[in-house]
Amino acid sequence: MRRTLRARSLRVAAGLLAAGVALSACSSSSSKGGSSSGGVPGADALTNAKGVVNLTFWHSMQGTNQTAVTAIVNAFNTKYQGKIHVTDSFQGSYDDAIAKYKTAVSSHSTPSIMQIYDVGTRFMVDSKQTVPIADLAAKDGYSLSDLQPNISNYFTVGGKLQSMPFNSSAPLLYINAEAFKKAGLDPANPPKTLADLADDAKKLTVKDSSGKTTQYGFGAADYGWFVEQLAAESGALYCDNGNGRTAAATKLNVTSGAALTYTNWWSDLVKGGYALNTGRPTPDAQAAFKAGKVAMNLESTGVLGGYVDAGAKSASPFTVATAPFPKISASDSGGPVVGGASLWIDRVGHSDAEVRASWEFAKFAASAQQQAGWHEATGYFPVSISALQDPTDVAYRKAHPQFQTAIDELQATQPTPATAGCLLGVMPQARADLEQAMLNVATTSTSADSALSDASSKISKLISDYNSAVSG
Amino acid sequence: MTALDGASHDADATLAVARGGGVRRRSALLSRDHGLAWLFLLPSLAIFAIFILYPLVQSFVLSTHGSDIFGNSSRFVGLKHFREMFSDSGFYKVLGTTAMFTVMTVIPGVLGALALVLLMESRIRGIRIFRSAFALPFAFSAASASVIFAVIYNPAVGIANGMLAHFGTKPVGWLTDPKWVLLSVVVVQVWMTLGYNVLVLSAGVAAIPGDIIEAARLDGATGWRLHRSVVMPLLSPQLFFLTVVSTINSLQAFASIRILAPEGGPGGKAMTLVYAIYNKGFENGNSDLGTASAYAIVLLFIVLVLTAIQFGVLERKVFYR
Amino acid sequence: MSALVKDRIAKVLVYLVLIIAALAVVFPVYYALAGSIMPTRDLIKAPPALVPSGIHPGNFADVFHAIPLGRQYLNSVVVAGIITVAQVLTSLLAAYAFVFLPMKWRKAVFGLFLATLMIPWEAIIIPNYKTISNAHLANTYFALVLPFLASAFGTFMLRQSFLQFPMELRDAAKIDGSGHLRFLWRVVVPVSRPTIAAIAVYSFLSAWNQYFWPLLVTDDPKMQTLQLGMSQLNNSESADPRLILAGVACSVLPTLLLVVFGQKFIVKGLTSGAVK
Repeated sequence: MRRTLRARSLRVAAGLLAAGVALSACSSSSSKGGSSSGGVPGADALTNAKGVVNLTFWHSMQGTNQTAVTAIVNAFNTKYQGKIHVTDSFQGSYDDAIAKYKTAVSSHSTPSIMQIYDVGTRFMVDSKQTVPIADLAAKDGYSLSDLQPNISNYFTVGGKLQSMPFNSSAPLLYINAEAFKKAGLDPANPPKTLADLADDAKKLTVKDSSGKTTQYGFGAADYGWFVEQLAAESGALYCDNGNGRTAAATKLNVTSGAALTYTNWWSDLVKGGYALNTGRPTPDAQAAFKAGKVAMNLESTGVLGGYVDAGAKSASPFTVATAPFPKISASDSGGPVVGGASLWIDRVGHSDAEVRASWEFAKFAASAQQQAGWHEATGYFPVSISALQDPTDVAYRKAHPQFQTAIDELQATQPTPATAGCLLGVMPQARADLEQAMLNVATTSTSADSALSDASSKISKLISDYNSAVSG
Repeated sequence: MTALDGASHDADATLAVARGGGVRRRSALLSRDHGLAWLFLLPSLAIFAIFILYPLVQSFVLSTHGSDIFGNSSRFVGLKHFREMFSDSGFYKVLGTTAMFTVMTVIPGVLGALALVLLMESRIRGIRIFRSAFALPFAFSAASASVIFAVIYNPAVGIANGMLAHFGTKPVGWLTDPKWVLLSVVVVQVWMTLGYNVLVLSAGVAAIPGDIIEAARLDGATGWRLHRSVVMPLLSPQLFFLTVVSTINSLQAFASIRILAPEGGPGGKAMTLVYAIYNKGFENGNSDLGTASAYAIVLLFIVLVLTAIQFGVLERKVFYR
Repeated sequence: MSALVKDRIAKVLVYLVLIIAALAVVFPVYYALAGSIMPTRDLIKAPPALVPSGIHPGNFADVFHAIPLGRQYLNSVVVAGIITVAQVLTSLLAAYAFVFLPMKWRKAVFGLFLATLMIPWEAIIIPNYKTISNAHLANTYFALVLPFLASAFGTFMLRQSFLQFPMELRDAAKIDGSGHLRFLWRVVVPVSRPTIAAIAVYSFLSAWNQYFWPLLVTDDPKMQTLQLGMSQLNNSESADPRLILAGVACSVLPTLLLVVFGQKFIVKGLTSGAVK
């Protein structure tokens, strides 16, 4: 959410860029591709490279996830000892990292490999700094078919896979199984549509003798990501130009369809006293579910471990069940959009040998073996299909049966432009505007139509400002 | 801050005497001292030039330029950002929120502290304990205070709603309800400033000579009358000082809003001017530094006007004294 | 009703109001300290506990694990320390020049110093951010301290204090044309000690409490200050009240002790010169 800029004008930057390229060409013995349009280097660039090719890898993984990243990097460095050496470096949150990346572009100090969150995808394409994964694969005749199609679908723009999927998470409906049973509901038969969910939420809402609500049926963060899921499931494009994939989107549809339905639905539940409104911060909604204050919650697969743990340690222990993310109507054939982040290979200012080495690392990180270990260590969804057959992964799912829901949900989804999800250069801001509008509807007498049309005009302005900034 | 004149005249006068001395060695020394003066001023002047004067000019430059997707300043756009800002109803909402936030924090903060300090003047036992208690919030930075209150305000598991539940009251969406969010941030801001205000006013009261109070008491002044006609006038410098300092602090409040009401909170009800600068320029991947700079220039003008008013009041006060 | 009874009632009322007010003011402090040793089950339940059900010192270990709190502590001390020393030094030199040294355009330059006081830092924070990031200084101590190495406020306060010196003392500086630095160090500094202390307290606390600027110029947790660390605990995806309160308790303990035991000193530091 910040960082960016340099004082120089674009023209000066372009001049410096040329100088920078010339400079790095001097310092590098290998043949030089020049700019990103300078073609895709072949395998010989790496085999002919003298000495060790050093790579920098920027990521946003913290805590146990950071340990897991380092484990992958170490395994890679061991395998390619004397040939390639990757140095991983934590760059703060996803927002921080993308902001730093902007600064790095201006100062020609981009890393070799960059982990960027899903909503930063359009920006990365617009930055014109990277080489698409699909081009490198095509050069080698390397097959990308082991990647989960629904995941690689997200990172495909203009018909090409742009970046290597790395850490993915899918949305789920989380259920407090004890609360379900107490209300006479069956956790094995969870609600499938928003309407079902609302009915169950009413049954799950518990009041004490004085009329105070001790348990709300439903409670999820005020989060634009959920609307994106519902839109994808309903098979509708959330923004124009093929969800921003054939060309930059110019309009986000928040005035009808999923956004309107979900806003009204959520607002009705909140106003009726069946849903607890914890506002926009996701940790607050998580806390409510962990405390047993809400019986159903929408979240990503990433929180599963924490939920199970909290349920077991709670003053009145409960088990956590999972169900597929609800749909608007039972006949919706689409599936959810996969969230997470991917690895981008920087081209501009990096030698051919470096690009090839980065490509080796990307393939390694997305390999079945690494992804199975990664899944186990972090709870992220494995991006490799064959990783699910890895013994490590099989054991993990045995220990976390709730995770299977996400796998089934994802594998049942046909990849389409709708399920690829909308790409928008200003998605973080657009989400924030939509969330503000939804909150406004749920807490005041403002109608969904008027709040959403306000949000829509704000978002349109953001998009047109962004698109004109892209064209300079 | 008092008037600018002061005794620099004296220094100039002595300088004139020294010059009049006319001894050659002296004037050589003097010219060396001239150089020394600039040398001594150099560190400060350099910092001010780089980090205050240059950015001041640069703010105006940035406000007339667009920016690219990397946040670099791009082509000249003239007054476009200002035109858009002045025709945006959101801008006036921000101004209104800023004014409201300032009034809602300064008045209770100063008057609340005054009331507490005057109550503590009632010659009762345990004053020191009370004074220490009221001063405690001073130990908290805006960030740490806000973080504590974020936990207290938590919608599901916060102690604030927990206590309301004890009294059978419905939970309140402290930070999630547009009707409450500004007030919730104000409470934190007032809590934070209360400690400092109590410290300053207590010191002011302690500095009032005991015989003045005694004389007033002998004249029959007690309780409220004693406070109003004797103590408060003697505290007026402190009250004025606190009003000025609190106003500036409230105008610049940032950490409390970022932590408790990111993006200005629900409905943008807590979006103040300073926060809007951050919001337009940095928050959520925004990098519209042109618009942010336009907002910054508005802030600059507001503070300049307030400073002018402050000097005006000060001058009048000095005059009456 | 006799005057005595009335007096009694008034006193009881005063006590009552003070006690209620004190409870309200102290509660957040109590809750931060009590919450910092609460086990998770006390905090993640509805309604949460008021009194810890057990002592859980593991919170402190966990928070030091979650963020580099020790390092951030050090960062805050180093940054506030450098700023304080630098501001005192640059202000001493500048104020000395204004009072004891002959110079041209004295009034104009002094006016410039005062003018900088009127410019709100937030209004120029964007260009300053660009200056620092252009110079590749983000995530360094330089970024955190450079803009604050001089203080117009400190210069102003010291100048006022120097002007109070007896004439003979000020003349002594001129008679002995050389050795200004010695004179400054041996005579001026000792005499101005209270003012210097006041400036130091003011500078240190302002630097310690900074938030906006460090937020813009640092994002590496190892280079962030304590204030950012606190808000990071609250903002992160895995925000946990247990860790937040343990972190806050650690971070405010020194200043809390200072307020309880060093009140007089602080009041002097923050109000002398500003009031009067």
